[in-house]
Amino acid sequence: MIETIDLTKAYRKVRAVDGLSFSARPGRVTGFLGLNGSGKTTTLRMLLGLTRPTSGEALINGRPYAALAQPLRQVGAVLEQGISHPGQSGRAHLIGQAMLAGTGRARVDVLLERVGLADDGHRRTGDYSLGMRQRLAVATALLGEPPVLILDEPANGLDPEGIAWLRHLLRDHAHAGGTVLISSHLLAELAQLIDDVVIIANGQIRRTVPLADLYGGAGRRLRVRGRDPERLWRAFEAAGGKVTTDDQVLEVDGLSAEDAGEVAFAAGVPVYELTVDTPNLEQIFLDLATAR
Amino acid sequence: MIALVRSELYRMATIRSSWVSFVLFGAVAASFGVLNAYWWALFSGIGAFGIAVFTVAQHYQHRTAALLFLAGPKRFPVLLAQVVTTMAVAWVFTAITGITALLKDGNGGATYRHTLTVIPIMAVFGAATAAIVRRSSWLLYGFAVWFVLVEGLVGQMKWPLPISSYLDAARGDPYGLEVFLVWALVTLAVATFTLRRDLVAD
Repeated sequence: MIETIDLTKAYRKVRAVDGLSFSARPGRVTGFLGLNGSGKTTTLRMLLGLTRPTSGEALINGRPYAALAQPLRQVGAVLEQGISHPGQSGRAHLIGQAMLAGTGRARVDVLLERVGLADDGHRRTGDYSLGMRQRLAVATALLGEPPVLILDEPANGLDPEGIAWLRHLLRDHAHAGGTVLISSHLLAELAQLIDDVVIIANGQIRRTVPLADLYGGAGRRLRVRGRDPERLWRAFEAAGGKVTTDDQVLEVDGLSAEDAGEVAFAAGVPVYELTVDTPNLEQIFLDLATAR
Repeated sequence: MIALVRSELYRMATIRSSWVSFVLFGAVAASFGVLNAYWWALFSGIGAFGIAVFTVAQHYQHRTAALLFLAGPKRFPVLLAQVVTTMAVAWVFTAITGITALLKDGNGGATYRHTLTVIPIMAVFGAATAAIVRRSSWLLYGFAVWFVLVEGLVGQMKWPLPISSYLDAARGDPYGLEVFLVWALVTLAVATFTLRRDLVAD
């Protein structure tokens, strides 16, 4: 369980994070979304004890990070696009981290295999691509087999195959009862992965909901194209719908697809197209993230 | 603590540029030992300072300090582990590079022994300074400018300043050893106090 309570970080007069309260629950993947500069990274660094809050609390399993016993066994973190010494090989980096986490070297080889770096473990990390560094960072986070994962923009630099791999890995972790908090500035990137969404803008929470509610809250619109648009328009309005048009099709709010089909049938107007216009999730996110 | 020391030693051993630097600088220090034990003591001190600075400051430069603090959120034990690591490595470095000075020294290896006594203090001073400044290039340039201008030209190596007192201690002066120990402990205290500063992301 990850929890922030009225968490605030101020740099002189600027409030980078302003009274943030949210939680990420076990068994679910929580997306922490905001535009660049919205305060995501600062929040995650406060959760991990790397940045001191001005006020409020950042808790993991009910305690501040600094109070956790064997923290690498409880929390795995991916930060800043994979951090490692560029002159050290990926394998040596993981062995050094395994010493800190108190895990054996055998786990290093297992993880190199799991993140797809088994053949590149001997190479210097300075020669790695961004995607490879991200995979190494994920392996570092998983060393201590922690139940809680905190990942700051982990999909940066990953190719589509890498994103699919990360998605499966994090879903499996949540299915096994783990807690996952993942930040991004792209909702579309996470839409197939997350269960809950926390949207932040200018350091403040804009929305904290299950992802399905974010879709539901936006309402659904029908797009209807028929032989006689004017008769259809009148029929839909008579049935309680609100109708607009983009000169190509009628856009109907307030009616279900079933209702609209019945209304058109009753009006005797052949319908050529009837589709539910799924809300543009990215637009919903942008509307929330940029709202003042 | 032991895990942190092991991890730091392993890191040093597996970064090629680190041990190549040790070997090259060690060869220079040993060469000066052939000429004069006092010069070797000076280069050993610079070497110990460099080892400590690179060990600590590179973690900030490459942002791996975040990984250290994730493993050890209480930061003082992390600094202590780095201090212990640099003391051990600097001592071994000095002991090996000083063999030439030991063989050459006419007064029974006194400079060699005194330098081995004071070199761990130089490692503490270097590690603590690096934990405060967090940037190795600033520190190394600053060290050079400080040594030449302040302690050399202005102080004539007579003022009780860190490098002057280190060299006095390497010559066997107990007062120099005490002064340098005070410098190292004060620096360590400042480093401990400033250790809580936020780690800055890119």
